Amino acid sequence: MLDFKHTDRTRREFEALALEHLDPLYSAALRLTKNERDAEDLVQDAFLRAFRFFDKFERGTNMKAWLFKILTNTFINRYRRRVKERTVVEGAAREQSSEKFIVRETAESAVNPEQYFFDKLLSDDVLRSIDGLPIDFRLVVILADLQEFSYKEIAEILDCPVGTVMSRLYRGRKLLQKNLMSYAVEQGVLQAPRAMELGSEAEEEADVLEFKRRAGG
Amino acid sequence: MILHCREIESFLPAYVDGEFDGVERAEVESHLVDCTACQHAVRIQAAMKEAVRRAAPAVAPIELRRSVRLALREEEPPVSRWDGVLRNPRSVGLLAAAVGAAVWFLAGGMSHRIFPRQSGFVDDGITLHRRGLPLDYAASDVGSVQQWLQGRLDFAARVPRFRQGPAVQGVRLSELHSRSAAAVSYSVPQGAGGRVTLLIVDDPDEADPPGSVRRLEGRQVWLSRSRGYNVVSWRTNEIVYSLISDLDESDVLQLVQAVEFR
Repeated sequence: MLDFKHTDRTRREFEALALEHLDPLYSAALRLTKNERDAEDLVQDAFLRAFRFFDKFERGTNMKAWLFKILTNTFINRYRRRVKERTVVEGAAREQSSEKFIVRETAESAVNPEQYFFDKLLSDDVLRSIDGLPIDFRLVVILADLQEFSYKEIAEILDCPVGTVMSRLYRGRKLLQKNLMSYAVEQGVLQAPRAMELGSEAEEEADVLEFKRRAGG
Repeated sequence: MILHCREIESFLPAYVDGEFDGVERAEVESHLVDCTACQHAVRIQAAMKEAVRRAAPAVAPIELRRSVRLALREEEPPVSRWDGVLRNPRSVGLLAAAVGAAVWFLAGGMSHRIFPRQSGFVDDGITLHRRGLPLDYAASDVGSVQQWLQGRLDFAARVPRFRQGPAVQGVRLSELHSRSAAAVSYSVPQGAGGRVTLLIVDDPDEADPPGSVRRLEGRQVWLSRSRGYNVVSWRTNEIVYSLISDLDESDVLQLVQAVEFR
């Protein structure tokens, strides 16, 4: 039977549950698509899709994680190619925006040089560094560092084992660090040898299960 | 057991992210006490995490919040429309007739496909049309729109003009079902509709556009109606053009006859 009141109630319920996550979804979409227009499209598509599948959502479970799963899937299925094409055009225009670095030497730098260094980084450079990550690493960095999902939630969102989340995050952060260092060197904030020291290389796969087993036993 | 830096390094993200329980934490920390290199690595990761958290959060534009709400409402056109229909006693009879027709149809009373494989992209085109999102490129002549599209689409779209009536406004690129598409916007001076969208989609797999077949001056077009919009589609080479408007059927067919490629 047609039950109009029910449909309306469903929509209200969906709006109440889902719309509060609009800002975090938009933040993530912005880092995935790298431009505002595509981010808006992506978020809107994800919301519509989520609404269509709302009957599949188990009430009482994690709405935010469920929406992020839909957002990432929508991105991977529909936006990736388009965004890639657009980035080629925009890459050149973005190169100019790195002149406004503030160099501020204080005693703080001696106490905690890493903290000092990252505090001095401009948001623009941090964003550029994130945007420069390959998509698999970018996804986990966005989910773990920007959205602060647990590894278990990320594993569910990306449909992969927790060990994979961990090794991607490990390598993602390594790359991010390298990107950030290169901006710092480029702008004269950091000298090359110091940067090498901060961005030391080690490419190893993490095996969280193995670690847990050994730590436990 | 004593862990060495190389072993512990790959677990530091989990440590920094607070993923480890007491035993694992203690294990990592017992290493950290004596290892300045790993302490350093932990501080870097924590600082970097903080930098990301600080740099990346964004507030969604108010406009987006509004358009999501609007789109959600439109997502179920039957609700609002049926409501009106049911309040009007005259239309209840029509509704009964429609239900009858639906039963007849479901029983196989019609031979042409009404759920063709591709109806999806026309529906997406309608969504695009009614959202009225900003144009990627605005121009008042089709020549420059077509020139702008070159290299941005992976197929050679041709942007038509109309002999009379709608004037081109610009174009927005989109992706429908993993195919690149262009939505060319035209303004219609008279009438409340005010806007016509021509959806251009590359269509390598030779399936027919949705709708019933009509012949227009020897040309084959497909006429369909969805969510209150009349859509006329036609195919040129391997490209499908769909004209989306809220004009009525005869007007939109007339419009298609006025299409001119140069």
